[in-house]
Amino acid sequence: MKGLQPSELQGIIEINKKECKGCDACKTFCPTNAIEGKYGAVHRINNEKCVSCGQCLTNCPFGAIKDTVDRVDLVIEKLQSTKYTVVASVAPAVRVAIGEEFGMKPGTLVTEKMNGALKQAGFKLLDTNLAADNTIMEEGSELVEKIRHYILGEKTEHHLGKLPQFTSCCPAWVKYVEDNYPQIIPNLSSAKSPIMMAGPVAKTYGAKEIWQVEPEKIYMVAMMPCTAKKFEASRPEFTSAAEYWKTQGREGHYPDIDAVLTTRDLARLFKKLNIDLNTVKEYDGSDDPLSVYSGAGTIFGNTGGVMEAALRTAYYVITGKELEVLSLEPVRGLKGVKDASVTMKDAKTGKEITLRVAVAHGIKENVVPLIEQIIAGTSPYHFIEVMNCPGGCVNGGGQPINPMGTSWVEQYKAFLPW
Amino acid sequence: MKHFDPNGPRVLKHPLQSRLFHWGLILGFMPAAITGFLIWLKPLNETLMNLVMQVHIVGAAILTISCALYAIFCLDRVVAFIRLSFTWGKNDIEWMKVSGGYPQKMFLGKEIEVPPMDKVNSGQKIFGICLLLGGTFLIISGWLLYAFLPFAPKIMSYWMGFGHLYLGLFLGMFMFVHIFLGVYNWGEFKAMFGDGTQTLEEARHHNPLWVQNKIQTLQERDMVEDIDEDDDEDFDEGSLETQ
Amino acid sequence: MAKYDYVEKAVKVSRREFLGIMGVAGAVLWTGAYAATDLVQDRNKYIKMRIAGLYKDDVKSKVRQSHNNPALREMYQKFAGKPLSPLAEELLHTRYVDRTKLV
Repeated sequence: MKGLQPSELQGIIEINKKECKGCDACKTFCPTNAIEGKYGAVHRINNEKCVSCGQCLTNCPFGAIKDTVDRVDLVIEKLQSTKYTVVASVAPAVRVAIGEEFGMKPGTLVTEKMNGALKQAGFKLLDTNLAADNTIMEEGSELVEKIRHYILGEKTEHHLGKLPQFTSCCPAWVKYVEDNYPQIIPNLSSAKSPIMMAGPVAKTYGAKEIWQVEPEKIYMVAMMPCTAKKFEASRPEFTSAAEYWKTQGREGHYPDIDAVLTTRDLARLFKKLNIDLNTVKEYDGSDDPLSVYSGAGTIFGNTGGVMEAALRTAYYVITGKELEVLSLEPVRGLKGVKDASVTMKDAKTGKEITLRVAVAHGIKENVVPLIEQIIAGTSPYHFIEVMNCPGGCVNGGGQPINPMGTSWVEQYKAFLPW
Repeated sequence: MKHFDPNGPRVLKHPLQSRLFHWGLILGFMPAAITGFLIWLKPLNETLMNLVMQVHIVGAAILTISCALYAIFCLDRVVAFIRLSFTWGKNDIEWMKVSGGYPQKMFLGKEIEVPPMDKVNSGQKIFGICLLLGGTFLIISGWLLYAFLPFAPKIMSYWMGFGHLYLGLFLGMFMFVHIFLGVYNWGEFKAMFGDGTQTLEEARHHNPLWVQNKIQTLQERDMVEDIDEDDDEDFDEGSLETQ
Repeated sequence: MAKYDYVEKAVKVSRREFLGIMGVAGAVLWTGAYAATDLVQDRNKYIKMRIAGLYKDDVKSKVRQSHNNPALREMYQKFAGKPLSPLAEELLHTRYVDRTKLV
């Protein structure tokens, strides 16, 4: 298959030929035009173009599209074996949606219940929000380095990419760039996504300092609102922990993330273990040092959240002061492309810097103009957050399917299939 | 088949608007129903399934426009149709019990006595109700499934799709029954596809209550119109006189 | 021209009945349109509710900025050093692939 590295999962999202009505609803949500099949005929997904985002899956009115990767039984097996320390890393978006699989309203914040359920099931916790904070530190520092070098003209020791910097936490977005616009790869932040940082941290720092177990005995399970994360975790380069340990004299071949469960998968796992989120004993995470997170980390699930989180830290690093007003309204909400300016005074040089930032979500409709500006050299921005899914990860392809809604956040457009 | 004297007086059973509307239904509903079956079964290759779908949309458009135009310009006929279809009495129950005498005639060659019917017999009334309610649902759900899927709540689209499929299958099959019976009743076929007329004798045979109560001679029609006009003038004069 | 001697009597729709039909038709169409536009406008409500849930989590957090997360600080102190350190580059940064060149 073209465009794929060895070991990468393909065909994660699949259209059921018997159920598909050829209604073309899925095509209106696919960001890469990966769905083939004329109107009225059974549709199929082109696995070379597909970025596994799952928007087609959550928007099919007839439930004809499925996620073919199911690791629930495997994870239960690992939980029940005494050999492994099974660590759960749960994304921010999961905690405001998993309640829906247990009868709660969308947006119900169930962190303590969710952690209680995970504890009851036998997981240790490394909250992805902590890894998100980690991403801010790495990606924010990278951005500040670029600002100091390209805008303030200072020398740098680091090998830096280009400005404007794009966020790289969305695996569908990353594959989209790699497939369609490889010329802007230098603009992608070199920082990994939060979950792909959590994996190595768990199997190095976590193994050594927190749980005191051998790194090979850690089974890292990611609970994500995202089907593309199943693809991301299978990328062959993500074996950083094992490679690190090799340099320390320990042999072993294992991925940084062993299994990915979507929010829907996680709900099924709980139900299989007879855990009901409504009645489970709540847990505040006090026995899990790596379940501590900041407000900046938790808003990663929203469109504009990564931007706000990054700016809170970038502002502090550059000015030496905390931002007074933490919520940056211009980057919040469902508008396709949002932008904002933040002016700050550099503590080191006294110079005034105005950061122009943009936030795009819903790649299908909104990201190409921003990319073309960059290719043409006319982009006014320094930092751009991109999330494939309309609304951000809270509306990811792995989230509970909401029967009263659809992902169409843009204005009404007459789709008249033919 | 009973033979009626073709030379007797004739009655206009289906005026021009009705016949044209019937053609609109044929050109619209029939391709939609047939392609509907194919869309459900999907037996053909991709290019042909796409063509089938396109024919379905065109048929649906013709159907929708025909119904809309008829409702706007021939509201009296729509009202008449609804009144007839939804008026049920003991005669209708008895008629249904013997299936209007049709199976007996078709399979046993026997002609039996049947309760008297109005312009529309009980079986046609059932068809009328099914078409009115089912057809309206098919049209509304069809356009939702065509143009509104990315915006409509998914659960609504799902149930609209479910209803569209099963009502479509049901009405499609009923349509074939209608065609068969319409051809079997050759006098009726000739009327609907010809000049709309039947001999009074034949109409009296099938629709005695209609002939008895609801038709008039041409002179009576013209007189009634005259009287209506005169009524207005008389009314004015009368009011002046009473003053 | 068709020749016939009898014709159906005119179908009488009284003014009251006509107004009734128009009234019901109008009410049905208007209610339908209203309900439909409401449902369509609310199609993203579930997304907005989830977004609000996370902003609520932010507001009630003890620590609001990533750089102030004590567990993260400890991780850097004990292990990775500081952001963009060689160990951080090794474990926490990555490279991308030009997939147009992959066979």
